[in-house]
Amino acid sequence: MSQKNKTTFKGFNFIRSSGGIEEYTLIKNGLRVLILEEHSAPVATFMVTYHVGSRNEAIGYTGSTHLLEHLMFKGSRNFNKEKKTAIWTELQNIGAQINATTWNDRTNYFEVVPSEHLDRAIAIESDRMRYAFLKDEDRQPEMTVVRNEFERGENSPFDVLDKNIWASAYHAHPYHHSTIGWRSDIENVSTQRLKAFYDTYYWPNNATATVIGDFSKEKALASINKYFSEHSQSKEPIPPVYTEEPKQEGPRRTVVKRVGQTGIVGVAHKSPEGLHDDTYSFHVLSKILADGKTSRLSKLLIDKGLATSVFMYDFPFLDNGLFITYAFLTPGTDHSKVEDIILSEYKNIVENGISDEELKRAQAQIRATVAFSRDGTYAVASALNEAIAIGDWTFYTTFVNKVEKVTNKNIKKIAKDYLIEDQSTVGWFLAMEPKK
Amino acid sequence: MGIFSEQVVINRDIEGVESYVMPTSATDVVTISGSMLGGSLHSLDKNNKVPSMTAAMLDKGTIDKDKYKISDILESVGAELHFSNTLYHTHFTGFCLKNDLDTVVTLLAEQVRKPSFSSDELSILKTRIIGNLERNKEDTKKLALIGLLRNIFPQSHPNYRETIESSIDLIGKVSTQDLLSFHAKQYGLGSLKIVAAGDLAPESFNNLIAKAFGGWAHKKSEIPRIKEKALKTKGATKEINVPDKTSSDLYLGQAIGIDRDHKDYYALMMGVYVLGGNFSARLMQSVRDKQGLTYSIGSSISGVSFGADGYWSTWGTFAPDILEKGKKATMEQIQLWFKNGITEEELSAKKNTIAGSFKVSLDSTSGLSGKILSNAEQNRTVSYLDKYPEIIKKISLLEVNSAIKKYIDPKNMFAISAGTVA
Repeated sequence: MSQKNKTTFKGFNFIRSSGGIEEYTLIKNGLRVLILEEHSAPVATFMVTYHVGSRNEAIGYTGSTHLLEHLMFKGSRNFNKEKKTAIWTELQNIGAQINATTWNDRTNYFEVVPSEHLDRAIAIESDRMRYAFLKDEDRQPEMTVVRNEFERGENSPFDVLDKNIWASAYHAHPYHHSTIGWRSDIENVSTQRLKAFYDTYYWPNNATATVIGDFSKEKALASINKYFSEHSQSKEPIPPVYTEEPKQEGPRRTVVKRVGQTGIVGVAHKSPEGLHDDTYSFHVLSKILADGKTSRLSKLLIDKGLATSVFMYDFPFLDNGLFITYAFLTPGTDHSKVEDIILSEYKNIVENGISDEELKRAQAQIRATVAFSRDGTYAVASALNEAIAIGDWTFYTTFVNKVEKVTNKNIKKIAKDYLIEDQSTVGWFLAMEPKK
Repeated sequence: MGIFSEQVVINRDIEGVESYVMPTSATDVVTISGSMLGGSLHSLDKNNKVPSMTAAMLDKGTIDKDKYKISDILESVGAELHFSNTLYHTHFTGFCLKNDLDTVVTLLAEQVRKPSFSSDELSILKTRIIGNLERNKEDTKKLALIGLLRNIFPQSHPNYRETIESSIDLIGKVSTQDLLSFHAKQYGLGSLKIVAAGDLAPESFNNLIAKAFGGWAHKKSEIPRIKEKALKTKGATKEINVPDKTSSDLYLGQAIGIDRDHKDYYALMMGVYVLGGNFSARLMQSVRDKQGLTYSIGSSISGVSFGADGYWSTWGTFAPDILEKGKKATMEQIQLWFKNGITEEELSAKKNTIAGSFKVSLDSTSGLSGKILSNAEQNRTVSYLDKYPEIIKKISLLEVNSAIKKYIDPKNMFAISAGTVA
């Protein structure tokens, strides 16, 4: 990582660089900017990541971050239907890929544009950062849109089981509820509450703008300065989330019964916060357990005809997360048999660790995955977005080096420390026959 | 000239193999994609699952290597190779670092040339696929689409779909002998096309292809001529009840009677794009954005490749208790679109969208290689990719609105929904 400032750009302080990506701060208001020139295609990606997600919600307004994200497309001072400059129209009519996503720790808005239109994307994101309309007459129809998104998710046995596992594993911490929130909160949260949420979190000093692609750094930063400097920083400090999950003191179980065709088993254990040193070992372990045909659980479950697929969910979050193995069962397979095999393999890792060959293979897989995360401007911005969410964007640029340092001893230790019964939450989806 | 004409290097030194290489400034990574004729329409008998099972067995072992050895070679360098099957082709896609290209291409050739088709592996694969198909019995979107296609195409038409139960039955009947026979008949040089994009040099890639595929037997194959035409769609409604579902999937559609080479195709495509091609299209703006009835709704033309007369469909999701309201709102937009056509302003905006999308699609090596392969499969020159935005630019408003009137008949759409009947 380099702290050397090679070039000075008006309105910005240079902070650091890593992996070719440079970090600046907009002096006027503290907006963090990450920038990388990349000229392989005439394309640029502009993304604004707000450091707010469903983690910042509580009972009564779960799902607000996501509902607000939807309302952010309904118009702002300079980009709206009345002026015939609606956001979707402005961007899709130039062929841009445009969207936004919300997750536990962050909300991001992005545009992949032909590079000559980068300025327009920057102008739109600046405008809606502080001047979004957020009208009640817009919330009403958008609430039902989001409710249908919720209903579509509820159609999926996997989504329902996953929600139940998180809700059982986390009692106090807001990771208890999923990003889309509870149905009654989606339906009843007021526009006033959403506005308060917006006015609390949507400020330049609580956001990171990422710009990657085919442009001159000088011009792109000048454009960001031009549009975003009109905002002040937040008048109040951004409120921190102080709720901590109490210590789990015993195994937990959850069962979902619905009409369906086949069962699912999920075995979850509490894992550390994303920036913890153990995160890299967990990533290696998940490759060894369930990535590819040579992975341990693929051999034990798929090759034995017990599961149609098996995968790990080990995404790093800002706070402690979950390390989950999911297995989709073949028709007629007993849930407890699959659960026992997964837990038995965990025990095997605790007792015997992994082989050098497994370690090397997992590290090679991760090296290649990270190389492909540089294939395209959106891919880079998207990977950075998740690193920003967990608190340090250089998590992305230093990830491979940290993974290379993981040892067999590290894997054995995390298995012993974290994959213990008292920290576990096991979920079953039981497919029921329809009532006659 | 354009970016594809200037940068894609084509090689046909080996008879029966076309390679397309597009070096980019991506660092270290290469995406490979390719295909040969061998889709489900090429099946030797009534079991149209044999081609897809043949493709799915390619990574389950070769004469010299079992599936673990194959996976070990790929995973030890972080590379991936995937096989799939469509109506017309067997496809493969690979991702690797540039230094591992030799390893991956050599392994790819071995997998397609010398698969072992072990009976044990076939048995495991069948269990997996049947398990996934069982799960599809509660997938409301898949059920509605299958229902639509079964009602607007005759059984022998490429766009027809069998029921999930039939698919399970057919998968269960596939034998190793079926796979061996199909491979012997279909797999070989002749229709093989390979595309590579990323951090590589054309000459060294073509040397690899020559080494890996040279000497493979030639197989005569062609796209089956489509004789069957779609059924005349009559206005009808059908409901499929799927218990315990909180969202229903609705399809409205009909056959259009033309393929993508027809002179009216692009005009009709632009008309449908204005109706439901993206978020700023009419259906999303009205049924979702204004009325809040759905999370997602869109309209498109499908099943028009290689001479098949395709279909137009509109799809949306609705809570069961507002399904009828959603359907009515959707129909109103379709009627309005049919009656009045689209405006010059709408057409112009969508032309700009396509021109801009063309540039955005150049963003990644996987996007590039997929685009080049799809174009090559249609037997089009790479320059067609450069000309495409210009072709779209020339379409007139009159052509679009005439095509809508000529090929769409809202009175005779087939409507089908799948979900929990309210």
